Amino acid sequence: MSSDRLDSTNDDTGVARQRPIYSESQVIMTTVKAVIPFVLTYGLFITFHGTSSPGGGFQGGALIASVVLMIAFAFGIESTRKWLSNTLVVVLATLGVAIFAGIALVPMLLGANFLEYTAYYPLLGDALGLKRYEFVKYGMEAVEIGGIAFIVAGVLMGLFFALAAGMTPTSETNTVGDDVGTNASDNTSDADDATDGGDRP
Amino acid sequence: MSVATLSVTALLPLQSVGITPLEASLFVFVLITAVLTALFRDVLASIVVFAAYSLGLAVLYTFYRAPDVGLTEAAIGAGVTTVFLLLTIAKTTRPATDARFEAINWPAVGICGLFVLVVGVTLPAFPAVGDPASPILANADVTGYYLANAYDETGAENAVTAVLAAYRGFDTFGEAIVVFAAGIASLLVLGREVFTA
Repeated sequence: MSSDRLDSTNDDTGVARQRPIYSESQVIMTTVKAVIPFVLTYGLFITFHGTSSPGGGFQGGALIASVVLMIAFAFGIESTRKWLSNTLVVVLATLGVAIFAGIALVPMLLGANFLEYTAYYPLLGDALGLKRYEFVKYGMEAVEIGGIAFIVAGVLMGLFFALAAGMTPTSETNTVGDDVGTNASDNTSDADDATDGGDRP
Repeated sequence: MSVATLSVTALLPLQSVGITPLEASLFVFVLITAVLTALFRDVLASIVVFAAYSLGLAVLYTFYRAPDVGLTEAAIGAGVTTVFLLLTIAKTTRPATDARFEAINWPAVGICGLFVLVVGVTLPAFPAVGDPASPILANADVTGYYLANAYDETGAENAVTAVLAAYRGFDTFGEAIVVFAAGIASLLVLGREVFTA
């Protein structure tokens, strides 16, 4: 077996080529840098305008998650996961469920039905200066933003990181993730060559 | 209208059932990409064509005034699913053969053809696209109630969101829990060693 490079040819096992998972590309990085602000803004717009235009928490949450996916593709998956810790991703999804359940269950405590948004009116109507029917609209917004968008974004990011785990060469964490380390810049290209082949699961 | 007239209408040129040439070409595009997804031997090519299929579907949904569904299809189907599939095949190896297409599995083609035939038989029972006499418009108890009252009762201009988050909020809550549970379960199964939160 002489597969010391990822794209080496090995006819014995019927394996033709394996694609390198991450290669630093100036084109991709520049494109992603240019596109990300717009995608993020569009995702937030769709999430926040769910009640008045097409879309909602699900679509917006997916777009917001796709921003993180693009960053990971451009700048390395492992370093992106270190930047957004696993805990944060799971907490995001759990927080979404908690917010949705909270908004839904508090009306039951007040003697109304599950998710009956108008039950908040006697409590908060004067404080927020909203009319009774407006509580339905802003209640839906709260569920879309704080509930569904959080859950979808968190779950998609988590799935992405879980699927991508173990595929990135360890050298990448040296070059991108641990820049604060003392002398990470002296042998990065050598480390690239050395560890590419043996790092596959 | 009798069943006989309806079936004749369905067999007439596409104009009579309210499908414009643009929509027809989109249908053809979706159909071709779907078949190519199954036929391509290279999985990477399959995934790229599958993304094109999702994009075609998203445009089609938008044509039929379902922008919410179109957005979901574009974001999830064409976007995130493609990324997940790409990540998955990155862990696999390519077959060494240079054949471009899979060998066609004729028994499978037969079963798929039968299925298409069975579904196709029901097509004449559907009303034409945008037909004002179709049951969903002519006898609109539930739909009509939502369309008539959604704005007054919820203040939401987008009736779809009003249905999802207010009228059927309990269902949406269930869906959100399902997404959360499925996600957490997948994380536990996929990445115990790497995803230690």
